[in-house]
Amino acid sequence: MRFSPFLDFCRRFARNHAALLGFVLILVVIGCAAVAPWLMPRDPLRIVGRAEIWPFQSWRFPLGTDSLGRDIAAMIMYGARTTLLIGLFASVTATLIGVSVGASAAYFGGWIDELLMRFTELFQTIPSLIFVLTIVAVLGQKLEYVTVAVGIVSWTAIARLTRAEFLSLRDREFVQACRAMGMSNLRIIVGEILPNALPPVIVLSSLVISGAVLFESAVAFLGLGDPNVASWGGLIGDGRTLIRTSWYICAVPGIAIMLTVLALNLIGDGLNDALNPKLRDR
Amino acid sequence: MAADMTPILEMDRLQVSLFTRRGVLPAVDGLSLSVAAGETLAIVGESGCGKTLAALSVMQLLPDPPARIVGGAIRFLGRDLVPLSDREMRQVRGRDISMIFQDPMTSLNPVVSVGDQLIEAIRQHMDVTHREAINRAIELLHRVRIPDAERRLGDYPHQMSGGMSQRVMIAMAIACQPKLLIADEPTTALDVTIQAQILELMKELQAASDMGLIIITHDLGVVAEIADRVVVMYAGRKVEEAPVEALFERPLHPYTRGLLGATPSALRRRGGRLVEISGSVPGLAELPPGCAFQNRCPLAFDRCRQERPALTAPMPNRSVACFAAEREMLSNVAAVGP
Repeated sequence: MRFSPFLDFCRRFARNHAALLGFVLILVVIGCAAVAPWLMPRDPLRIVGRAEIWPFQSWRFPLGTDSLGRDIAAMIMYGARTTLLIGLFASVTATLIGVSVGASAAYFGGWIDELLMRFTELFQTIPSLIFVLTIVAVLGQKLEYVTVAVGIVSWTAIARLTRAEFLSLRDREFVQACRAMGMSNLRIIVGEILPNALPPVIVLSSLVISGAVLFESAVAFLGLGDPNVASWGGLIGDGRTLIRTSWYICAVPGIAIMLTVLALNLIGDGLNDALNPKLRDR
Repeated sequence: MAADMTPILEMDRLQVSLFTRRGVLPAVDGLSLSVAAGETLAIVGESGCGKTLAALSVMQLLPDPPARIVGGAIRFLGRDLVPLSDREMRQVRGRDISMIFQDPMTSLNPVVSVGDQLIEAIRQHMDVTHREAINRAIELLHRVRIPDAERRLGDYPHQMSGGMSQRVMIAMAIACQPKLLIADEPTTALDVTIQAQILELMKELQAASDMGLIIITHDLGVVAEIADRVVVMYAGRKVEEAPVEALFERPLHPYTRGLLGATPSALRRRGGRLVEISGSVPGLAELPPGCAFQNRCPLAFDRCRQERPALTAPMPNRSVACFAAEREMLSNVAAVGP
């Protein structure tokens, strides 16, 4: 009885075949990331063979080697770790900032709302990629900083969505009833309104992950990523000079990025359908 | 019945204003009332007459902006609530004074189970363990006559009917044994049969715990059913106050008479038409000088258009703010006088 809302959600999510496909794809990526250290215990950035071996030519390097002779398969698998890590934590960062800002703006209203929303708009006016590059340039080229930077540029949409949800929920009678019960503002925001506002926010957060994957790739492509970890974007950046001859160096990580982002978007759509009460029981 | 008891709640010339773009509007204008332990006070009036704002003022839950208390005092057991901080007020809400709202279907959080909401209400003001809170929640559901209480704890609000939800709301309201319960149109959203059950339940619970009850309604049937004393409000002011039998027997204010005339009754002669009160409540921005009811009043005369009638007490325990009623009383006295 208690778990029925969750089971119900799973059933609705599974009914959407595209979302299920996205989910399976992401599971594969997560699987790659998880088994990478056991399958390929050596540093993926080490030079292990002849340069520019094409994919499917050698069983030792199923996806070939890059211009330096590094194993592309290893870099893809370790790159999945980087990508997922950054995507997930950047999304968590963005959601935490966005929900806090949006919720307080809508709940308290008045000048707090005014101030926080102007602040949000200020962030929206700055071109995201340049902002990320600036933050990374200032803080340094480390994985954590790239994550934080992507989180900092991605929270505005979540803040605005959370604010809109809170505005419509704030004046509902159950909120009034909670206040009449003597609950504190923080408890009402976190314990009562947030669970109601969460479904669309979760959908957007899942889409922020795919945005973060793209950001990370772009940053790494431009050579500003963490030089000590394997990254799909970095691999594309390294291979771009050889695109006429050995195009597979760019293509393989490109396909990995594309499939991951596609999968995340499919999941986002699936979540939207499964969590959106207006589409229920169709 | 309660005139000689010390009141639990005493509202003294409460002024609530709406600060709008069109100016400051007096939504509640000098409202005084009191409720004693075990007593039920009904506040009656049309929509927009300020009865809900008066109730929210007691809880300090006015929608600010635009509404704010600008004058008067609300004394709960002698302590004025108006100057209290939000933190102090939180100790009062739910523990000393509880409130239930009009629509039970929207008063419960849709994503939290009924049991968890009850437990939250209990633990808000009582220092009990989770286990004890669960037991108390079951006991409360029994008290509001919800069958199969243990199983119902896991239900979500959408699995309950309106009457059930209102019972849960009442259970939450009495969870911490408040001394005063304010019910804002508690039965308006319910079926008539359920209405009677809910009113009966509230009467029972009140008798058992001796709490004061303020019931806000526009339904005189509810008033007759449950109230001891009635305050009639019109355009933010109290126009009449009387014990319930006296009010139904002999309403003094023409507005009260209008309300009674507009109420269907099984006892009324069949085929008799309901009498409506013509016109509608004037907007707070365009209140006329003099009596606010003058444009709808069948008895209005010159004085009503110039002067605002003050509350007078023509009989013990009763008060009315109407020149026509005063004149009527005087002529009655003259008729029976020596």
